[in-house]
Amino acid sequence: MSLLDERPLDETPVPDAQDQEPIEEQVPFRPRALVRSERVELMLAVASGVTGSAVMCLLFDWTHPLTFAIWALLLFLGSTYLLARDSQSPIVATDRLVTTLVWTSGGIAVSVLLWMLGYVVVKGIAGLNFEYLTSDLSKVGPLDEGGGVFHALVGTLEQMLIASVLSIPIAILTAVYLHEIHGRLSGIVRFVIDAMSGLPSIVAGLFIYTVWVLQGRGPSGLAAGLALAILMIPTVTRTAEEMLKTIDDGLRESALALGAPQWRSVMQVVLPTARSGLITASILGIARAVGETAPVLLTAFGSSSINWSPVNGPQADLPLYIYQLLRQPNPAQIARAWSGALVLVLLVLILFVLARVIGERGARVRGGSR
Amino acid sequence: MTTVESPRTAADTATNRQVVSSELLAEEPHGSSRIDATDVTCWFGKRKVLERCSLSMEPGKVTALIGPSGCGKSTFLRSLNRMHELVPVAAIAGTIELDGVDIYSEEMSPTEVRSRIGMVFQKPNPFPAMSIADNVLAGLGLSGMSHEDPKALVEQCLRRAGLWAEVSDRLDEGGMSLSGGQQQRLCIARALAVHPDVLLMDEPCSALDPISTRVIEQTIRELCEEITIVIVTHNMQQAQRVSDTCAFFLVESIGDPGRIVEAGPTAQVFENPSDPRTYDYVTGQFG
Repeated sequence: MSLLDERPLDETPVPDAQDQEPIEEQVPFRPRALVRSERVELMLAVASGVTGSAVMCLLFDWTHPLTFAIWALLLFLGSTYLLARDSQSPIVATDRLVTTLVWTSGGIAVSVLLWMLGYVVVKGIAGLNFEYLTSDLSKVGPLDEGGGVFHALVGTLEQMLIASVLSIPIAILTAVYLHEIHGRLSGIVRFVIDAMSGLPSIVAGLFIYTVWVLQGRGPSGLAAGLALAILMIPTVTRTAEEMLKTIDDGLRESALALGAPQWRSVMQVVLPTARSGLITASILGIARAVGETAPVLLTAFGSSSINWSPVNGPQADLPLYIYQLLRQPNPAQIARAWSGALVLVLLVLILFVLARVIGERGARVRGGSR
Repeated sequence: MTTVESPRTAADTATNRQVVSSELLAEEPHGSSRIDATDVTCWFGKRKVLERCSLSMEPGKVTALIGPSGCGKSTFLRSLNRMHELVPVAAIAGTIELDGVDIYSEEMSPTEVRSRIGMVFQKPNPFPAMSIADNVLAGLGLSGMSHEDPKALVEQCLRRAGLWAEVSDRLDEGGMSLSGGQQQRLCIARALAVHPDVLLMDEPCSALDPISTRVIEQTIRELCEEITIVIVTHNMQQAQRVSDTCAFFLVESIGDPGRIVEAGPTAQVFENPSDPRTYDYVTGQFG
């Protein structure tokens, strides 16, 4: 303790040490920050990329902005390398090129996502209002204004609830079988789960269509929930298994050393510790299923009016709603489809945030600070 | 102390063992028990890692297992509460008796063995999803027991583990918020809460600083009055400080299984060993 107290502090002098000599304030510097010459080189590279690409576009009469962007990027990377090689050395230049490449790749990934989201927001925000969210399409003619998404929203929520209730417990218990029990059939189960994760969604839809819808039960939200559950199980199982792998074996041993049978060790120690990861696994599964169109088309058929009952009669859901409206020729329908896409994106966003909040709160209450 | 056999041992041989074991569960706290290992041999697959080790761990005493790395100390320790068999390819021969009852016999289930013979591991590992108080009580829920006054039990176990003063005002915080040494004492308190007769410790201080180590050594000395302790350690000063009896394990040459070279009172093993190999090891002239 005394050693710690007497050690001079690097940046901030002790504020209440009045009996000591005033210590001169130190100026911190950040060794990893860009120095001025590097900043100049960066700006030069950007400038040469932009101007070079602009010149090429004028010369060759290219008009598409994407062409301009791609050439600007390539010229920017090239001049980054050349400038660094000139001022420093080939090794430094390669290092800088790779660093720049990594940064740009991250930037491209984020900007494509933002571009897409922005597109959906711009196209969909105009039609999004209270009436849109609370009415269906049953009384709206092809060219009419109004109408809404309520029936599809209800359908999506009911079908996702059914699919989640059916698939998440099975998937998590399967993950427990694979990683905690190490059952004799683990190899086969894992192979089947892997094969299932590559299953085209329309095949799952066809399967339920044949064994459920065509067997006199007719289309329903429940049938759609069954098809979506088939799609969710592999995703949730494999992610949950990965999450269980991150749990320290010492915790399992400690639980067993306290005299626990294995099922109690799993229920009281392993699963609560993996809680946040298991929520993530479930959310990934839901995110996979919520955007599916084909299986819902084959099992719930879609509808333009509200159907509260998930077990009886055709039901709409959001992806199907978007798909069906986008194929209509009139602009009012297409605008509704865009608003539907925005509602779908917002729904997924809300689910993600909700799951994070639940997971974090559990971790904070029980796990303490870290 | 060593010559006085606990009444339970006498009863054990005289009467039906089933009756005795339920009687044991009823009385609380248990006090200490003895473990007698005879000709214990352990395998991982076809590899024999330990051969014909016999050792008596007396009630109310601290037994230290010393020896170089890879000599089978931890394997021996883990065979004492049936943790060895958690490795799928593990096999074992010989007998291990807890107060005269073979822990590998059909009368004893692994869960019963483990709740009577507790264990503290090398790496402190409180359950991250539980608060400090819940960590102490975890063993009750995990082994299907209950206690009429959990709060009192938490305080009692934390006091015995020497941690109460440091955490009494934050029992609801997470176990992971403690320092390494505190976490290890929390693990000791957790092991004590199920009232084991024996406590096995697998290098409990190897991840800790000297101050935390000293606190845990004090805890061990206080606990050994009521509980039998077996401790694996690489630190020979620690073995001298905490143990009454000492067993020296050694692998003769590479590929051989580990054997017990010498076992006896700690003072004798360290000051007047009968085997030259023990002398070389405890005086640091090894290899």
